[in-house]
Amino acid sequence: MQTTPVFGLSRPTFGSHLRALWMITLNNWKHHWRYPLNAISDLLQPLVWLAPVYFMGQAFSVNGKAEGFAGYAGTDDYMSYIILGTALANFIMAVFWGMGYSLKWDMDGGVLEANWMTPLPRPLMLVGRTFSNLATTTLTSLGMILVASLIWGFHPTGNALAAVLTVIPLLIGLYGFGFAFAALVMILREANTLVDSGSFLVQILSGANFPVNVLPKWLLPVSLILPLTYGFDAVRGWLLKTRTLLPLNVEIIILVVSMFLMIFIGLRAFYALERRVRQKGTVGQY
Amino acid sequence: MEIATSQPSLVKASLSRTSLIAEIRAFYTIIWREWLHFVRYPTWVIAFIIWPILFPAVYIFSSFALAGPGGAGIPRFLQVAGTENFLGYIVVGTTVWMWANTLLWNVGFALRGEQMRGTLESNWMTPTSRFLFLVGTGPVHAATMLMFFIFTVIEFRIFFNLTFEANLLSLLIVFLAAIPALYGLGFTFASLVITAREANTFVFLVRGIVMIFCGITYPISVMPAWMQTVAQWLPPTLIIRAARAAALNRAPLSVVAPDVLLLLAHGAFWLTIGYLTFSQIERRARLKGALGQY
Repeated sequence: MQTTPVFGLSRPTFGSHLRALWMITLNNWKHHWRYPLNAISDLLQPLVWLAPVYFMGQAFSVNGKAEGFAGYAGTDDYMSYIILGTALANFIMAVFWGMGYSLKWDMDGGVLEANWMTPLPRPLMLVGRTFSNLATTTLTSLGMILVASLIWGFHPTGNALAAVLTVIPLLIGLYGFGFAFAALVMILREANTLVDSGSFLVQILSGANFPVNVLPKWLLPVSLILPLTYGFDAVRGWLLKTRTLLPLNVEIIILVVSMFLMIFIGLRAFYALERRVRQKGTVGQY
Repeated sequence: MEIATSQPSLVKASLSRTSLIAEIRAFYTIIWREWLHFVRYPTWVIAFIIWPILFPAVYIFSSFALAGPGGAGIPRFLQVAGTENFLGYIVVGTTVWMWANTLLWNVGFALRGEQMRGTLESNWMTPTSRFLFLVGTGPVHAATMLMFFIFTVIEFRIFFNLTFEANLLSLLIVFLAAIPALYGLGFTFASLVITAREANTFVFLVRGIVMIFCGITYPISVMPAWMQTVAQWLPPTLIIRAARAAALNRAPLSVVAPDVLLLLAHGAFWLTIGYLTFSQIERRARLKGALGQY
């Protein structure tokens, strides 16, 4: 009489899921660091964008003080404001390019079908990618802040712990959106223009580089719809003591609610994609 | 005997001995091919609508914030830039940067694109001058950039109510004088790219230099002295300075003439460098047989 193996991969357990998650994360982590030039480029590129912003700030500042800027932001420390915004914007870029293209890259590499044949919940592939992407982007952003602070100075005067705690729902919500975006990119296949202009637009509208109250009246409502706007605003409020759009506790509530909403939308979009490609049999096509 | 007399005329008429007319025909065909490539991918329409306004927007809104709600930062800008019109000042600078950026991605990657598609070797087997394959990418890019400039003017008029106080003749002369310098740089870059192969990092480096040194959103006088010296040797700095004068202050030809002459000198220099680099790379690739490798 034959017995069915209880601990085989065909009958996965919670433990085997955790092991798989660890392996997916490790795989992506290794993949990132195997291209060290790209990793260095990730660190240096934001600095290249910061340099002209610094000189532009100088063109409007007297004795290093951006008085005009203080009228909008509540601080004349323009560079700290920009450096923090750029570090957070790194995560937007990571989600749009890294998460957005994750399924597409697996598809192009011809491993998506094989990965999806394994007895794992399919969103787990993206969760693993999220962990490694978060870790690499955090390291890159911290490195960028360190280098930028040596060049231009970075002066956080507020509550760092509160700022870090505020970042958590912001990032979880952002990566939840990444699930939906990955599904969209996979369906569109050639999405460079969408990703390029989309990431740039989101950065502008969420106020990565300036207080959003300088936006024209017709554009401001779009900015205020984005949860990211409140995330950037709240983190700056905690760390740099800038003037916030709404009271900080209200902004945090918005972030937490949007986090659950984004996870829900992201998973729904992902399952819809999975159903669609299973019905059409197009996982291997690109 | 009959064969011997008829042979030379046959050889003369064949493509293996090209004439000037044949080279012109080939050049025209290369330009036409580039144009067809451009119009066959309609996503360019989206790019032409989005990017003229999207890229400058980040600097424009930053400048609004720096100016302050009561315009407290404007006197300082007037002092260093010589104009209160920081919006127009930024738009001209960022548009020239976009020109240099797309040049690097398009003309700079022209040969690399052929190499990736596997058509570089077969094209270079034809008796057409090989440099023409590279030069042929320039006119189409310049024409599309002219369209890009028109889109820029229209969009900023609509969304920001920005009017340019332009001297169109001066602006046109600056544009024409900028072409040899910029495209000479592009040809040099394209030649180096087929040797370096993975060229994205080079693009980031070159466009980063232009972005930092050439004063796309600020007067170069706010930079340290050594950076100002470097900036004076970069063609985009001259283009931006002359274009700002022509587009924002109705500068007559006599005002932009010094920059135009300098640009023409840069053009002669960079076209020569471009040609010499291309010849060296071509010779090296032939000797090493590395043309088809990528």
